[in-house]
Amino acid sequence: MSASGPPTYRSVAAEGIASPRLQKSLHGLQQRFGKGAMELWATMADQGLRRRVKAARMNTFAHLDIVLAELAKNVRARGGQVHFAASAADAIEYTLGVAQKKAVKRVVKGKSMTSMEINVDAALEEAGIEVVETDLGEYIIQLAGDKPSHIIAPCIHLDRQQIGELFTEKLGIDYSNDPPTLTMAARKALREKMLGADMGLTGCNLACAETGQISLVSNEGNIRMATTMPPVVVALMGMERVVATLDDHREALQLLTRGAALQKLSTYVSFLGGPSSAGDPDGPKEFHLVIIDNGRSKILADPEFREVLACIRCGACLNICPVYGKIGGHAYMSPYCGPIGAVVTPLLDGINKHADLCKGETLCGACKDICPVENDLPRMLAALRHTLAYGSERWQVRQHNRAEAWGYKVWLLLVGNPVLYRWALRVGRFCQKPFVGKNRLISKLAGLASGWTNERDLPPIAGQTFHERWTTNRADHRSGAKRDPREGS
Amino acid sequence: MDKQTAFLRTIRHCLGLPAEGERSKESFPALFATADRSGILRAIRTRNTEEQDELLRLFLTNADALGIRTHVVASQEAVADLIVNLAVTKTPEFTPAKHIIHHDHPHLNALQLRNRLDIEGITVHTSRGDDRQMREKTIASFIGITVPDMGVADSATLIQLTKPGCSRSISLVPSIHIAVLKKEHVVADLREAYALLQEQPHLDSMVFITGPSKTADIEAQMVHGAHGPREVHVLIY
Repeated sequence: MSASGPPTYRSVAAEGIASPRLQKSLHGLQQRFGKGAMELWATMADQGLRRRVKAARMNTFAHLDIVLAELAKNVRARGGQVHFAASAADAIEYTLGVAQKKAVKRVVKGKSMTSMEINVDAALEEAGIEVVETDLGEYIIQLAGDKPSHIIAPCIHLDRQQIGELFTEKLGIDYSNDPPTLTMAARKALREKMLGADMGLTGCNLACAETGQISLVSNEGNIRMATTMPPVVVALMGMERVVATLDDHREALQLLTRGAALQKLSTYVSFLGGPSSAGDPDGPKEFHLVIIDNGRSKILADPEFREVLACIRCGACLNICPVYGKIGGHAYMSPYCGPIGAVVTPLLDGINKHADLCKGETLCGACKDICPVENDLPRMLAALRHTLAYGSERWQVRQHNRAEAWGYKVWLLLVGNPVLYRWALRVGRFCQKPFVGKNRLISKLAGLASGWTNERDLPPIAGQTFHERWTTNRADHRSGAKRDPREGS
Repeated sequence: MDKQTAFLRTIRHCLGLPAEGERSKESFPALFATADRSGILRAIRTRNTEEQDELLRLFLTNADALGIRTHVVASQEAVADLIVNLAVTKTPEFTPAKHIIHHDHPHLNALQLRNRLDIEGITVHTSRGDDRQMREKTIASFIGITVPDMGVADSATLIQLTKPGCSRSISLVPSIHIAVLKKEHVVADLREAYALLQEQPHLDSMVFITGPSKTADIEAQMVHGAHGPREVHVLIY
């Protein structure tokens, strides 16, 4: 399918569905983490936690200018440097500027979706800087020249044999398909990279304005390495990734690690807010925090979608979504996949450009049930469909399918006019004749209508409508009653 | 500051507020208000031995489930014995020579590890802010010994604040992390831990450590020792 033309949502989804390997991994993942998270929410002692965190997130957004100013002030007070970047280009320019000023030759990255969103790697590499992903999954993806397909399990679409072959080719080790052996090989290779890096580049899970710190969660320790060993650390954060106080931090953190991997806490939660203090034996000499808008303020401005900023990027919705569970992450063509990706990708990168995403989801509501902050993703998916159906000036969306919109206009005219409607039915009955198959279903329509029958059969228009049958039957009934006077006596 | 001003102005505009006229946090006292924590602090301070022992048991149970090796010992001498034993019996992962490094902390300095390990041919380093070779020494060490500020029973978490003499990399770069924890520093849960952290006048860098480094990125199979220590020992006395 993908052989003809560039990959599309449809073609990549079809590839995912056709891959037994991916189907097996996704099934395992959803069985364990999806079900696990639902059980956790149901049995959690503190049943108000999710609602409180959501309320706190929304309250922070209503005061985001104050909270970000406080964060910046407190980071600066610690000797850290804060840069506000309105766009991806701005964030890249700043990051690259820091790297070049410090004559950086190698950057080690802690897993960061924001860095993928702005595509900073390409800019660094173009400037001759080596960029190394350090999360094991991301490292494997990088070696394979591939793209991640899950927020916390980036290489879920690869199996141990493929990874074994990849390591033999790229790291020159003897072939093995044993996960511990492969992990140790990566541990050794990445240790060299991390200890010899000039700059660490990370994201930010939750920044705390009150203390002027960012916090990062990881299980592997790569993010601690990237923020401890290199002399320069740059952290990229979306402007919504902030909480006001430590109290807010504690509550949001507990939802993050539980939603992501059913953990009370991830192995490491590290807090960092500036260069190392006088007397500290280690830590970075320079710390830069880049606070990025890149389309988020537009989401903030729209009450319909503001809620999506409350997302804490745990990935739980991927672990339950029936659509993601079949097609995998690649079809979404974005660093943000699954139900959250289907909402946030169009909002950040163009609703028309990513029109397939909101249409592909089923609106079954599972993502809302599992979301630790109870984001109503189905509502927002429907709202995105609304902008596509009618166009939107605010989001610069042009009507997605004019033919369909025209079709509905005609439909509106017909259903409002019984005479026209009945006439159209008769025409339809006549025109459908050549299309009705032996099974008495329509499997293939012509022209524009063929889209309807690509994946399904349609029942033909009935020979008689209910209304017509009613009229005939009642007429029969009445005349019958006249013919048989004994009835009812 | 220009970019910041423009950035925050955009936010105000998007919130439907007048873009000009910065808002100050003083006008919104609830925004940065902290919940009253005196009750929590009192509970921590007035905890009796029995309750403290119960927390310790909880810590040990949760630690066990995470693959943390715990050792409850009676005295400082027993702590030293255990460390010496681990240093002698364990094999270094990256280097042939045996080096270990520990935080510059009175509890550890009192153990006299240097004297005891010298005769075993093991080099002992102490983390010091003024030592320019700290980095090389840490990288060369296969065991790192720290004194966490707190243990959290509910999640078997160690909380380590960065301080002069207490470097970050000792609990990260060596293959084996040994944490020496005083029994009375175990608190119940994150709520208590955060309440104590909020008492700190100036929070700097810190880390919560919950178990050995791990990954499940290859076919969801759990492997310990991704980038950080593959073994974590907690010695409690």
